[in-house]
Amino acid sequence: MKTLKAGTRLKSAICDTEVMVIRTRPAEMLLCCGGIEMIAMDGGKSAGQPDPAFAQGTLVGKRYVDEQDTTELLCTKGGKGSLSLDGQVLAVKQAKALPSSD
Amino acid sequence: MADPVMAAASAAPLAGFRVGLDGRGVASDYARVLLASLGADASPRRHGMPDEHPALAWCRSGLMALTGQRDGAPQMCPLPLASCADGVVTALAGIGDGIAAGAGSGSRLLGVRANIAGLRRNGAISPGGSCRLLPTADRLLAVNLARDDDWRSVPAWLETERQADWALVEERVAGAPSAALLERARLLGLAVAAANPPEHSAAPWYHITATGTPRPPRPRHLRGDVPLVVDLSSLWAGPLCGQLLHRLGARVVKVESERRLDGARSGPAAFYDLLNAGKASVRLDFTSIRGRERLRCLIERADIVIEASRPRALRQMGIDAENIMRTRPGLTWISITGHGREEPQAGWIAFGDDAGVGAGLSALMRDVTGERLICGDAIGDPLTGLHAALAAWSSYRSGGGRLLALSLDEVLKHCVRFALPDSADALCDRHDRWHRLALESGAAKLAPPKVRARAKARPSGADTETVFARLGHRC
Repeated sequence: MKTLKAGTRLKSAICDTEVMVIRTRPAEMLLCCGGIEMIAMDGGKSAGQPDPAFAQGTLVGKRYVDEQDTTELLCTKGGKGSLSLDGQVLAVKQAKALPSSD
Repeated sequence: MADPVMAAASAAPLAGFRVGLDGRGVASDYARVLLASLGADASPRRHGMPDEHPALAWCRSGLMALTGQRDGAPQMCPLPLASCADGVVTALAGIGDGIAAGAGSGSRLLGVRANIAGLRRNGAISPGGSCRLLPTADRLLAVNLARDDDWRSVPAWLETERQADWALVEERVAGAPSAALLERARLLGLAVAAANPPEHSAAPWYHITATGTPRPPRPRHLRGDVPLVVDLSSLWAGPLCGQLLHRLGARVVKVESERRLDGARSGPAAFYDLLNAGKASVRLDFTSIRGRERLRCLIERADIVIEASRPRALRQMGIDAENIMRTRPGLTWISITGHGREEPQAGWIAFGDDAGVGAGLSALMRDVTGERLICGDAIGDPLTGLHAALAAWSSYRSGGGRLLALSLDEVLKHCVRFALPDSADALCDRHDRWHRLALESGAAKLAPPKVRARAKARPSGADTETVFARLGHRC
């Protein structure tokens, strides 16, 4: 369990997935990839495969949100595991609306 | 590969073409540089008409009015950027029908949005308002937060829990090293660029990153053989490319995602019309299997595809440009990105204003005026759109079979490097001379030019069924 912060970068313990926290709520949460808790960017990987229940994969550039829409993660590197928060699989958020001008 | 057909396609698009250009001056010189870089023989003729002076072209483009402090005097850029725009049109008119070259033909496209939207110069803030030059611990950084969602990424970018606004951004970047800010911004897909000085390197303005089987060269006069252009792009650069191809005689089908229409539709209608009038409009649901099948079907019939997304976006929808090149003879694929298709730059984004800063324009303006300035209005967009049209038509004329990759960054750097003086003294000297000429001629007072479309653009999806009916029952 960890309290996440906007801007924190984490990586999967068992696949290539990397994420950045875009927004979250101030509470302890269990953020997993492939069913195993995600670790700090300088942490050591574990051996093994993603839990088949959490193995849909992640796509680089996609944003993932929880059902209550209180936590949003940006996938900065794709991998084999799926992201989950307190056991609940996160869903892909729709693409950013384009600006009318830049 | 020993296959001679493949070898032919990877050669420069206009190899073997001879293009006669009459003009004399900076715009014509730039046109010749472009045509030569495409492989054409574009040797000058003797008695051509003189081009407009680059300082006067800068004024006529409207970018003089759009550069400078809001309450200060308009500023001269000592690089012939507006002449470069005229030069692209000159080159285009040299290889296609339907486009007239001449003073203002390209340069007025640079200031036209500002005219329509009533935008004004605003110092270190872009005329459009979304891009700002901000000091960091070590240099100036252009930060362009153009999309609403960009603001939602700011707390993650700057590692803060506070509500994001410009005051917060300014405060947080002030003490931070720009390398770290750039790295995190790129991960987040934010358009951020360092105000580095202009580069003297000789990087090309386009790359052929994949080849396919070419078809026989096409004649300058199209006759009955009208090319089909599938335009998947939005905003300014890509749609301008599509508009120019329409004027050259192509049939252009603009494709939009049902869930994410072209953002320019929510801007001024006159500007959207200018870029999109004359194109058929198809709207598809890219998240459905049927929508993706129809998109693939359209692409398979295209002679030219224009696309201005990060490469992974189409790949994640199952559309792989490099693979399609190999299976579709004669196809020309125009890829417009911020920084190119190579990793890791393929994941970075750029908009027109920050790309200008990244190419060195703000550093250069600071050297000659002492001020922090954004140069022009989203200058990377119209310049890249013009170059993309030239690349597209060159490849089409010579039979296609190429993926031509252009980036805002490299196109701007190419324009900046053309006629860049060797020394700071020479640059300041030229700035003084050109500025004086602008003042003495009265051109310094010129407002952004008024250009309007002759017709309205089609409503989104108005032609979906007609287009697919025409393509046949398989779609």
